[in-house]
Amino acid sequence: MPGLVKASAGSAKRKRSSSDKRPSKRARSESSEEDGQAQILLLENEIFESKKNYNNVATLIKILKTDSEDADDSVIAAISLCRVFTRFIVAGDLANKKGATDQEAVVVKWLKERYTEYKNSLFDLLGEEGISATALALCMRLLKTEGENTRTQEYQFPSSFLTGIVQALVKPESDANARKEFSEKFVEEYDDIRFYTFEAIKRVLEEPRSAASAHQVFDNVFEILTTIESVPESEEELEDFYIPAPKKSKHALFTLTKHKKRAQDAWYALVTMDLSEDQRKSILKIMSTSVAPWFIKPELLMDFCTDSYNAGGSTSLAALSGLFYLIQEKNLDYPSFYQKLYGLLDSEIMHSKHRSSFFKLMDTFLSSTHLPVVLVASFVKRLSRLTLNAPPGGVVTVVPWIYNILQKHPTCTFMIHRVTRTAEGKALLESEGLADPFLVEEEDPMKTHAIDSCLWEIVMLQSHYHPNVATLAKIISEQFTKYAYNLEDFLDHTYGSMLEDELSKDVKKVPVVEYEIPKKIFSKQEEGSGKEDSLLVKLWDFN
Amino acid sequence: MPPSQLKRLKASLREQGVVGPQQSKKQRKQNAQNGVSKEKRVHKKVALEGIREQFNPFEFKLAGKAPKFEVTTNRKTSAVVRRPGVAKGLAEERLARAYEEDVQRRKKVGGIVDKRFGENDPTMAPEDKMLERFTLEKQRRHKNSSAFDLEDDVMPGELTHMGQSLSLDSPALKDDFDEKDLELSDEEDHPSDDEQTRKRRRSSAGEDEEDEEEDEERPERKKSKQEVMKELIAKSKLHKYERQTAKDDDEDLREELDLEMSDIHALLRGAVPRSQPPPPASGPGMNPDRAALLSGTDKGKLDKDYDLGLRQMAQDKRSQPTERTKTEDERIEEGSRKLQELEAKRQRRMEGAPESSDEEDAAANDGDEEEEDFGLGSGLKARPTAAEIGIEDEDDFLIDDDLVASGSDLELSEGDSSDEEAEELDNDEEDTDFLKSLLTEEEARRPEFLTGANGPLPEAEMPEQNGVNGDLAYTFKCPQSHEELLQITRGVSVFDLPTVVQRIRALYHPKLNSENKAKLGKFAVSLVDHISYLANQPQQPPFLILETLIRHIHSLAKTYPVEIGNTFRSHLQAFGESRSLSPTAGDLVVLTAIGTVFPTSDHFHQVVTPAILTMTRYLGLKIPQTLSDYSTGAYICTLCLQYQRISKRYVPEVMNFIENTLCVLAPTKLARLPGNFPLHEPKASVRIAGTSKSTRRLTIYDCIPREHSGDDETSLKAALLETNLSLLDAAADTWVDKSSFTEVFTPASKILQHLSSKACRPTLSPITQTHLTKLTQKLTILLKNAHMTRRPLELHHHRPLAIKTAIPKFEESYNPDKKHYDADKERVDAAKLRKEFKREKKGAMRELRKDAAVVARESLREKRERDAAYEKKYKRLVAEIQGEEGHEAKAYEREKEWRKKGKK
Repeated sequence: MPGLVKASAGSAKRKRSSSDKRPSKRARSESSEEDGQAQILLLENEIFESKKNYNNVATLIKILKTDSEDADDSVIAAISLCRVFTRFIVAGDLANKKGATDQEAVVVKWLKERYTEYKNSLFDLLGEEGISATALALCMRLLKTEGENTRTQEYQFPSSFLTGIVQALVKPESDANARKEFSEKFVEEYDDIRFYTFEAIKRVLEEPRSAASAHQVFDNVFEILTTIESVPESEEELEDFYIPAPKKSKHALFTLTKHKKRAQDAWYALVTMDLSEDQRKSILKIMSTSVAPWFIKPELLMDFCTDSYNAGGSTSLAALSGLFYLIQEKNLDYPSFYQKLYGLLDSEIMHSKHRSSFFKLMDTFLSSTHLPVVLVASFVKRLSRLTLNAPPGGVVTVVPWIYNILQKHPTCTFMIHRVTRTAEGKALLESEGLADPFLVEEEDPMKTHAIDSCLWEIVMLQSHYHPNVATLAKIISEQFTKYAYNLEDFLDHTYGSMLEDELSKDVKKVPVVEYEIPKKIFSKQEEGSGKEDSLLVKLWDFN
Repeated sequence: MPPSQLKRLKASLREQGVVGPQQSKKQRKQNAQNGVSKEKRVHKKVALEGIREQFNPFEFKLAGKAPKFEVTTNRKTSAVVRRPGVAKGLAEERLARAYEEDVQRRKKVGGIVDKRFGENDPTMAPEDKMLERFTLEKQRRHKNSSAFDLEDDVMPGELTHMGQSLSLDSPALKDDFDEKDLELSDEEDHPSDDEQTRKRRRSSAGEDEEDEEEDEERPERKKSKQEVMKELIAKSKLHKYERQTAKDDDEDLREELDLEMSDIHALLRGAVPRSQPPPPASGPGMNPDRAALLSGTDKGKLDKDYDLGLRQMAQDKRSQPTERTKTEDERIEEGSRKLQELEAKRQRRMEGAPESSDEEDAAANDGDEEEEDFGLGSGLKARPTAAEIGIEDEDDFLIDDDLVASGSDLELSEGDSSDEEAEELDNDEEDTDFLKSLLTEEEARRPEFLTGANGPLPEAEMPEQNGVNGDLAYTFKCPQSHEELLQITRGVSVFDLPTVVQRIRALYHPKLNSENKAKLGKFAVSLVDHISYLANQPQQPPFLILETLIRHIHSLAKTYPVEIGNTFRSHLQAFGESRSLSPTAGDLVVLTAIGTVFPTSDHFHQVVTPAILTMTRYLGLKIPQTLSDYSTGAYICTLCLQYQRISKRYVPEVMNFIENTLCVLAPTKLARLPGNFPLHEPKASVRIAGTSKSTRRLTIYDCIPREHSGDDETSLKAALLETNLSLLDAAADTWVDKSSFTEVFTPASKILQHLSSKACRPTLSPITQTHLTKLTQKLTILLKNAHMTRRPLELHHHRPLAIKTAIPKFEESYNPDKKHYDADKERVDAAKLRKEFKREKKGAMRELRKDAAVVARESLREKRERDAAYEKKYKRLVAEIQGEEGHEAKAYEREKEWRKKGKK
């Protein structure tokens, strides 16, 4: 739409100028302001009085457009125009009547043109801060009136009008408040608005545009779409309509599949855009809650998910939940899922901020008791290997998880208790020692020989510097009397939380003080004192 | 088929002889004459009755259940045959009679019934009646009266004289001079009470019986009760005596046997019995007098003497324990034992042993108190002058204090005073705490004394006599906050600081004033603030000063552990909140101080645990960008390793940081990253580019970010690499025994291999190269050892778990006979009540119905009777009238006949 683009350019310019002028506005005399408003009201009244004064509409539109000086005037003009057009629509002045004279037809045509012009300028207003909310309210009001009155017999939703609104809201320079209000008060509330908004979004997204604006448009569209939280589950739920619902009970608005189809199209259009990594992640984050439930054909999302999953890094972490949703709910099959999951366990995962959500998911994935023990053992061993370089928060998560897994897969307990029974075996151990049979480099969790290994790492963590972590690690060598640990309790620990926990406690017991006052702290021991220098003194120069 | 009813009747009649073959007239006449027939008639009547009963199936009713065999039940079983017909008839008769009575009484008798005794008995004489009534009334009253019933208004109504009852059956009526009563007034209450309860119990048995018994018992009761009591007491005394004598006998016997025990031992050992050793009571250390007393027989004298001796000892000043001089060996031994004890305690804390052991320790300490004093005291004896002054007199102590201020004998006086204080303080807790610190304090002070500000130390330009400028003040205000401390030390050279601290400590010694303890506590807190403040100063004070200050804090911490611990904690908190990833030199010094002041090997420690968490947070979260970050990391790693030098706990972050630093510093990039540590490549490369000419060690001020010149930077990098290699070395030493040594150090050894590869070697200095080679070799050996000593885990040699058992719950009141068992008592009660109500209702209705039936029947009968009477009367009247009429008619007829005749 070239016209729109031009208009938007104009609006941008005006915006700048108006923002320049705004400070001076207060200084201006009250009277001129009131004059302008009175004039607008006068013009409006004249329109109502006689058809002859229809030209006032054009004047009002002009005021609306040339508001460079006074934003208030344009708002009042917009409001009065809204009243005017509402009256026209209700009176049927905007519709071609049968048996109308040529003159009348010309008038109707002219009025329609003005109406379009008015709408376009309203769309421009949507992009302006401060008055965008009013503009949106006017738009929606007109939309309602139009929807209520223009239909002849059949239900007709003013979808082109709505598309215009959506388009204006989605534009990179549009106002965030209006968008928020639109999505919260209308799209989320009314089923018909939502229905046609999906349609409009799809249409908007299909338009070609530059990469830079595409980025902005994505964010805006994403914002609108994410506000829609509740996916209707049955057709009975479809009962909130902004414009009185069609009488025909078979209308598309009443069928759930049609709704879903529209939503699916809109989301799909969004997903197939050229996305940056952050955008991908933001979609993946809400995949299982807000996106996937809309889809009738989830296989459309499958590609997106698997692509993201294969991308590696934190994107794959984000893709996990969506993928899991698809596997669980939509029965999709992903053969190398566990291998990929195993691949995700790298040095970063323990330090990642997604650690807790990842562990939550991984716990779900590995909770089945039907998984091969070899595979489960690989996960256990790999994770325990990772704990050797992990922060205490990570260790605290892994240890109870391992406990739970060992409870679930008793065969895995060989990893913590393996008695060498044969004499030859013992002799071999004596003569050659033992190498860890676990293959770190192996990517396939079925071939790592982890089940033949032992969890020496956890035993090492039993002497972790943090007392609570060390105590927790000891559960592995205690008797397994507890059925399972609630993993939720162990997920969200960080340095900060642990430190705060320690420092927030009051000192009740008297802290023990080292009984021996060292003779030297920063300086070398005297020669012949028989004491060794501390590590600090050896390595650091304190002179 | 059984015979018909008629046939059976006939048969039974024949059997009983009611009907028989017809007798001849002659026979009958004969029988009548003999009286046989009369007899027979009687017999016949009885037989007929039997037959009638036998043939009426409703005449008898057997119990519903068959009777039980006698062996199965302990209740008496009587096969009851009830006769409902008879019972019914009787009941009806009774009702009818009652009705009749009722009817008769109707409209005739009033509502008051005279129930006085014998009122309706005309046979009694009026005197008898009166007497009977009086006794009855007495009895009733007596029954109700309870000894302690205040509510009862019968007692107050009783007549008394001098507070003693005048009633007939009261014991008080007896003569006042009867001593029994007076003597045992106390005892009497009890038996009377007993009597009451007994009586109450009996009252349920039956009233008549009770009355009789009472009458019989009453006259005897009082006497017997007192006697019984006396008897009881006497008996129990006798028993007690007997028991005691038996026990004494046993004791004697046992002692005899004990004496023979040694013989038995000797026999068992098969050795020749030796001469008896002296009894243990008269040990070598015992007073011979006392021993003599003990062995003596006169117990009373012994006790008396003992008391006397004790009193004398308590009054005798000289008897207070004096301090015995100990030999050098003894002192050393004691010191080492003390150290061992402390070490054992530390070990327990390291293993995170439960707190109870700690308390035990405290208790043990209490026990050892005296000895500890001894140790200290002997230590002081070595310097007789100051020690004696300190102990003897307070005034002297003040003089001594002066000496201290001028820099001579602070430590000793302090040692003394704390010694005295320890003696004075009764508060156990404080005492033990203090004592715990004493010995080591004393011992640790002395070196400080030598090396501190007062000692002539050649290595630092310490103030010789009185401050650097020689004008250092002798007295200071005790600073209560860090600001005050700053104010006081404003004009003071930083080198004089230890002297100032010492003087303040001496001036405000807790011994001198009770307020000083709190003051010094605040001073200690401000000192902690001061070390961090000092280290943050741009002019960078010498570390010797800091060292001395930390040592002062340490010694103060023994007295004020909570205050100092809290200050350190608040430092940590501030550090963690405001600059957790960019520590200042002050923070590093504070962390170092924590490492020396508090035992870092403890499993959990209120200050050390947050401190190490703070450090690992830095290591774990900091993404180092500049060389100063790496230096800070290296310093913190050093501290971590030093913290763990004894407990050897694993700190993953240290390994991560060392490995990361090595990788980043390596002259060329590693092709493949070994291990799982997260690698953070800094934005500006810090790789070592060339060998540095000068070799130096890192200093704490390398941790402060600043600009480096090219040369400086190269040497700093080399120093960093060197330090990190040493750190790795130390880490390997620390964790060599850990089960996962291989996993932890294999990546490190790979990095080392890379560093010593051809690509990197040339850029490293020769010293580093040799260090590298040594370290690589060491790691290889250690890894090999770890490989050899590794064994599969066998963590679960636990005893198999027993299956949980639960004791079954028994219901106390369960009765299997009951049809419906219900555990809920309330519900059972409700059901019982409901049932009773139903039954009662049923019974009442039946009674009413029966009454109504009787009334109806009786009234019907009466009506019939009345009707019959009326009918009879009517008939009689009619008959009479008819008779009369007939007579009259006949007379008329006759008259008519007569007249006819007459006419004719």
